[in-house]
Amino acid sequence: MVFRWQRMLSVSLVAALSLSLAACAGNNNGGNEPANNGGNSGGNAGAEANAGSGEAASNANVDETGWDGKKYAEPVTLTTVKGVGTNYYFKSGETMENNVLQKYMKDNLGIDVKYDWIVTDTNDAYKTKLRLMLSSGEKMPDVITYRGDMETVNMLIDSGQFMDVGELFDKYAGEAYKTGVALNPDTWLPVTRDGQRMALPVLDYAYNDDMLLWLRQDWMDKLGLQAPKTVADFEAIMDAFVNKDPDGNGKSDTIGLATGFKNTYLGWMSDISWLFGAYGTLPGQWNKGADGALSYGSVDPAAKQALSTLKTWMDKGYISKDSGIKDEVSGSELFTKGQAGAIVGRNWLPDWPFGDLLNNVPGAKYKGYPLPAGPDGKIGAQSGNPSVNGWMLINKDAKNPEALLRYYNFFFENWANPQAGSEFENGFAEGYDWAKLPDGTITKDPAKDPDLFPDYADRTHLVEPIYYSLTFEGARIPSLYADTMIKLASGGTPETPYEKQTAGVRKPENIEAMKIVLDQKDIRMKNYFQGPLTETMKQKNELLNKLINQAYSKIIYGQSPIDEFDTMVANWKKSGGDQITTEVNEWFQSASGK
Amino acid sequence: MGMSTTTEALTPVRSGVKAKAGSFLRRTWPLHLMLLPAVILQFLFGYLPLGGLVIAFKDFKPYDGIWGSKWVGLEHFKFMFEYPDSKQVIINTALIAGFKIVCSIIVPFVFALLLNEVRRSSVKRTVQTLVYLPYFISWVFLGGILNDMLASDGIVNSVLKSWFGLEPILFLGDGTWFRIVVVVSDVWQQFGFGTIVYLAALAGVNPSLYEAAEVDGATRWQQTLHVTIPSLAPIVIVVGTLALGNILNAGFDQIFNLYNPLVYDKGDIIDTFVYRTGILNGQYSFGTAVGIFKSVVGFVLIVIGYRIAYKLADYKIF
Repeated sequence: MVFRWQRMLSVSLVAALSLSLAACAGNNNGGNEPANNGGNSGGNAGAEANAGSGEAASNANVDETGWDGKKYAEPVTLTTVKGVGTNYYFKSGETMENNVLQKYMKDNLGIDVKYDWIVTDTNDAYKTKLRLMLSSGEKMPDVITYRGDMETVNMLIDSGQFMDVGELFDKYAGEAYKTGVALNPDTWLPVTRDGQRMALPVLDYAYNDDMLLWLRQDWMDKLGLQAPKTVADFEAIMDAFVNKDPDGNGKSDTIGLATGFKNTYLGWMSDISWLFGAYGTLPGQWNKGADGALSYGSVDPAAKQALSTLKTWMDKGYISKDSGIKDEVSGSELFTKGQAGAIVGRNWLPDWPFGDLLNNVPGAKYKGYPLPAGPDGKIGAQSGNPSVNGWMLINKDAKNPEALLRYYNFFFENWANPQAGSEFENGFAEGYDWAKLPDGTITKDPAKDPDLFPDYADRTHLVEPIYYSLTFEGARIPSLYADTMIKLASGGTPETPYEKQTAGVRKPENIEAMKIVLDQKDIRMKNYFQGPLTETMKQKNELLNKLINQAYSKIIYGQSPIDEFDTMVANWKKSGGDQITTEVNEWFQSASGK
Repeated sequence: MGMSTTTEALTPVRSGVKAKAGSFLRRTWPLHLMLLPAVILQFLFGYLPLGGLVIAFKDFKPYDGIWGSKWVGLEHFKFMFEYPDSKQVIINTALIAGFKIVCSIIVPFVFALLLNEVRRSSVKRTVQTLVYLPYFISWVFLGGILNDMLASDGIVNSVLKSWFGLEPILFLGDGTWFRIVVVVSDVWQQFGFGTIVYLAALAGVNPSLYEAAEVDGATRWQQTLHVTIPSLAPIVIVVGTLALGNILNAGFDQIFNLYNPLVYDKGDIIDTFVYRTGILNGQYSFGTAVGIFKSVVGFVLIVIGYRIAYKLADYKIF
């Protein structure tokens, strides 16, 4: 009898094993199938709001898509994929697939967003996963939202799986969205193919990506330094930071500017491209010359001057010896560790990462300054597409492509600039991104009032459900942010909920910085090439980028003489650079001529 | 006890060759069944994707699919050999991988010999576990740690400065130092694993050989020289032969987490190069072509190495 049992056991073991393997495989293939969130009880905010607006949908108003003006009579599903940012925080028990916003949109608009897969978006994981999806020819979800490099967007468009959204936009986009898009005549340029608009822009606050100079104000005051007007002034400041022991620890362990150009000389933080701008070019992008033709900034003669200045900065210790092996974030750590006294970045740096500086160096003070001018009085800084921050593509086979626009419209109308007394006046949901104190005032500080923000252990950050939205931050009206900041900076009283919130949340240094950015908005140098990769770029980009980055680094580190620049440029031109320049100008002619 | 009952019970008393073959299967089918998931997985993830190699000979466009893409013959291979950087990248790869292979044979071998002489088994085991630990740490972490340690104001340079008065060395910004760092850190990470292999082999050496040597008056050193090392030779040759196949694998995750434009000329390897062209610039076909090239070179080297091993050590793996 014993043997039978053993045999039975081994067989059932095998069976169990293969079953569980199959289950694993199934899970992997199916991605993260959303848990049945519909059946969950207690969708607090959603349920309440639903009860409030409890009018029965009259069938007369329902259009051919099943929309009654406020809601889909029969809920529709939008499938998508998601890269979860590091600034997304969740209450315990909530996930990307099951949260207060997801429920709200399902209950109130009848739009159920489901995820084919979700990935934590560190080290470009989302981009990599999208590209792998493309390379394996996987079926795309209804909607893909992407924020990042244009190349990935172009690859998605070229996959041929997405639709021309032009008609949808004209028909379904709300007023606010249309006005925002119209602010910039070039908005559609990057995604236009044969006159067809292939992706919807995600709008963002204009001028939010513009650069300014941040200095350690406590060091400036201690050493009695004045605001730098020119690069020469700035060099004097850096010299003082390096040699006059601004942190007062008796050691020469401080440097001037925090920067990191391991990946690019056109960084989004710890930026160094502004120094090239001071000589009249910007590296890594296509600038427009006096003759109207586009040329690549990295091989411009002005870049040579910038490099030779950078080399002297490295020799004198103004920038870290490790700048060439640091990226934007690790470069910024030089500043937030209290080692460097300057960094070039965007107006919102006080929100992140300057919080780390205050943790590491108690009592540190920082202040924004205009970017200094070069020897000929030139100032130049990068600017993104002024009001676009991301793109949304809709699958050709999507059943309800217009649902995305309705989703976005909803946030434009109710969230982007809410009226006093309206639903989202204080934030998305009580107990998440806001709470009411007993005396009726609104708080957004979970560290101070932990009881008002239940089910949430991490007290240092606010849970902001709006980030869970398909459209990144719900919706943003491009001009609103800058207008409000200017109003606040010039002493205006905040009136609308948005203005009050901004005044409450934004640090004074941030508001001041935005004013500097707008005062200096003429220094913006646009990247004029917004098209898909050209044929030669596809083949030669790797080689050409390597040529440039290697020569740049070696010149700055003194491993090659400065004249290596000319050799590199000659090499660049004959290895395909000339060809690419022609192609880029052809694109520009055809795109702007139309 | 249970085992013997099973075997007995599962062996039916029958005669004849045919019946024997049949009974063998009947006896062992649960074992075969247990093997099945592994076979299926291997087929699904090991063999089926091999079909994708065909894109190396096509101009692969993801949306056209593997079959819809145009044939281009050997175009991508031609492009690879005409690419100006190819030679340098291949040399870098072979050099770095070569040094890694040699060091990853010698270091664990010597270390295992030394560890084997340690009398106290608690010390032996602790050391063995400690050196094995780094094997489990991902290069993403190790890369970050090394970046900090080797920075111009990092711990290594601080020590060099305060003890020897040396100027800071840019370990990760200088091609030659970069190669050294890559090889040394790789050996440090990997040698615990190799040590275990050799220790296992050492445990298998026939004790009577040592006894005989002792009777003949051999010293400890002579025993090592004439008993231990010859006994380990076959396993060294096997490990070396198999490692030859990796001559063009210099370790993507390690280099990727450590390199930067300053060391492109001496540190850029085939895999990082393929990553930049293949994934970042979407040249999937080209990436696959390079992959095939690597595999073919690796395969040829293994075959040659195997032949040599057979001749020298009379060792057969297959």
